Amino acid sequence: MSDRILTTHVGALQRTPEAEAALLGEAPVEELTAAVADVVRRQVEAGIDVVDDGEYGKSIWQWYVTERLDGIERKEREGLAPLRGRDHLEFPDFYAYALATPNVLFHGSDRAFWNAIATVPVCVGPIAYKADPVERDIANLKAALDGADVADAFMPAVAPASAEVDMANEHYATQEELLWALADALREEYRAIVDAGFQLQVDDAWIPAMWDHDPSLDLETYRAYCRTRVEALNHALEGVPEDRVRYHLCWGSWHGPHATDIPLAEIVDLMLAVDAGTYLVEAANVRHEHEYHLWETVELPEGKKLAPGVVTHSTNLIEHPELVAERIVRFADRVGRENVIASTDCGMGSRIHPELGWAKLATLAEGARLATERLW
Amino acid sequence: MNRILTTHVGSLVRPKPLRDLLAAKERGEQVDETVLEQATTEAVEDVVRRQADAGIDVVDDGEMGKLTWITYLYERVSGLEPRMVPVEGTTILPPSRDRQAFPEFYAEHDAAFAIEMADALQLELAEGESAQVKLWFCTGPLEYDATRLEQDIARFKAALDGVEVTDAFLPVVAPASVYWLRNEHYATEEEFVFAVADALHVEYKAIVEAGLMLQVDDAVLMHEYDSILAEGGSVEDYRRWAELRVEALVHALRGLPEDRIRYHVCFGSWHGPHVHDPPLADLIDLVLKVPARYYLMEQGNPRHEHEWRIWEGVTLPEGKVLVPGVVTHHTTVVEHPEAVAQRLVRLANVVGRDSVMGGTDCGFAQGAFIQRVHPTIQWAKLEALAEGARLATKELYGAEAAS
Repeated sequence: MSDRILTTHVGALQRTPEAEAALLGEAPVEELTAAVADVVRRQVEAGIDVVDDGEYGKSIWQWYVTERLDGIERKEREGLAPLRGRDHLEFPDFYAYALATPNVLFHGSDRAFWNAIATVPVCVGPIAYKADPVERDIANLKAALDGADVADAFMPAVAPASAEVDMANEHYATQEELLWALADALREEYRAIVDAGFQLQVDDAWIPAMWDHDPSLDLETYRAYCRTRVEALNHALEGVPEDRVRYHLCWGSWHGPHATDIPLAEIVDLMLAVDAGTYLVEAANVRHEHEYHLWETVELPEGKKLAPGVVTHSTNLIEHPELVAERIVRFADRVGRENVIASTDCGMGSRIHPELGWAKLATLAEGARLATERLW
Repeated sequence: MNRILTTHVGSLVRPKPLRDLLAAKERGEQVDETVLEQATTEAVEDVVRRQADAGIDVVDDGEMGKLTWITYLYERVSGLEPRMVPVEGTTILPPSRDRQAFPEFYAEHDAAFAIEMADALQLELAEGESAQVKLWFCTGPLEYDATRLEQDIARFKAALDGVEVTDAFLPVVAPASVYWLRNEHYATEEEFVFAVADALHVEYKAIVEAGLMLQVDDAVLMHEYDSILAEGGSVEDYRRWAELRVEALVHALRGLPEDRIRYHVCFGSWHGPHVHDPPLADLIDLVLKVPARYYLMEQGNPRHEHEWRIWEGVTLPEGKVLVPGVVTHHTTVVEHPEAVAQRLVRLANVVGRDSVMGGTDCGFAQGAFIQRVHPTIQWAKLEALAEGARLATKELYGAEAAS
């Protein structure tokens, strides 16, 4: 058991131009290996205890997996269709402005990221998993960790529900068949990551964000939809030791008003139903910061950990370490100091200027040190 | 009052018709003054009504009659001469250790800001040509001309007729915050600063005498700390600079009733990292020297949110009211009303529920061509502020709450 507050983050870090070129096949693959070594070194320097590869080997957290699946094709799409939901209906003028203005909803021009957003995946045949890319990512992270002073390492992977969203189905008889086929395929990725000795982080933003995404859903239908997806995820996680699994929920990381986000209170039971040892959830932005109070009435099950966001990508201001410490202590007071890991709201990559992303990780570590002083 | 009242810092995003006319005027085009006056009047009517609809108790004119919160003054005093001078570096914004620490971020920020301004002004950005900035030079005795202020007051009072609000305020600039102004006339810095204060006294007095609350805006007082240190100065250098200007402000406020005065400090409203902002605790003595009843300060952004705790160690003088920012222009995300309520309640638990009012970190549009968030988000934030204050009232006053 740790005698201090450990730090981690959600996964995506600001990809360098060299890593971008290597990922797109425009530069030798060794450049990706070197970039991953560098991003691990920078996390250690910033004071992050549980590190990852910055998702340098993935175009985008959600659709990277379509590049690893047989049976999926990518087709052009128009606009940022996935962002069209309740928030969009309430703030049409903002979204019109934001879609026409650079660096409002996202940050930067990483082509792997934007190319993935510009296309929509279509399932045209039986889904089967191709393990080469994950083997490459595992090898890069292992090499980067050689000699690095870290508490642990994790690798993010998408949840079946978040891979499924906006995927057109031209092959399976029903949507659920597609979902379970995705779960079976992803199970291979999950196992590869855990077998490599890393913690597996399953990213599932589209569980909370589905409420925004589909305004026709009422709460009951939405929760039933989510329950099925959690079952599919647990199926994919069968046989994976729970204490090596982290589960990340967020409400979508684009810089929108988020005024229609579903409260965590409505879905916290679904989150806790996932067979994971650690839950990562937004708690540092102004829409979700107040939700720490939820843990006064909801019990975190024995042996589980909570990794709340205590710094956020949703503002350029660098959180004051005192505020970071205050946020950590609030959680520690409610779920126990040994059950709190200090984290970020969501990934930083393509969300905020790289200099700011790194400064936020450093202030996260500084705040965790202050919190440790107060809690131990 | 038995409830938590709400207000904001002052500037609101200008409606497009007004902004377009002001842009044409800035481009040097002929603009019919009666058309401009009509657009300004309509803009004031619109923002006053919308503040009331959003649930804001103490409203202003959104600064519709001002080009920026600082430079409006330079159109209203004699003894000044505007000159175009080359921009030093990449921006007209002040130097800072923040810029030194985040050079790549600020390069991107400054380029985006230049495009935003050019878009609003509908100007082509000249390639290669060195950018120029308008600075004002004091070349003769300063004297305040109240014509534009009287128009502001008349427009605002007309707009207040027929809306239900608790009170109304007009923002003005503080002596410390007269940025982009250089002295070539007065013999000493002190003489110049007090001459500015004397000119401002005329404005301050006219606003109070018109029955409006006076809000003195003083972002530069806080930010100059980072600028002076960035240029090699010491904290003592800063305090000498600041104390003279706070004395000048006290002088400018002479004879005015404290309970009609609000004093707003902030750390600069641009969306930067703000890592080198001075701790409020170090400068709060300067703030409290100003004879105001209401003190407005940032507490809605993650660099200053934790500063509610300074009031555990600093005594707020009897009868004064804190107006913390509980929503901020620094994020597109709209504050959850519960978060707003939590921020108000925890401060009320330290200084007393009757000494807290809900506010914003800063204005939403420091000039006619600036918007810190999209206007629809600005209004959603003001609504969240009002809703949060209602929740806080319930918690703090319970059955005693005024309806």
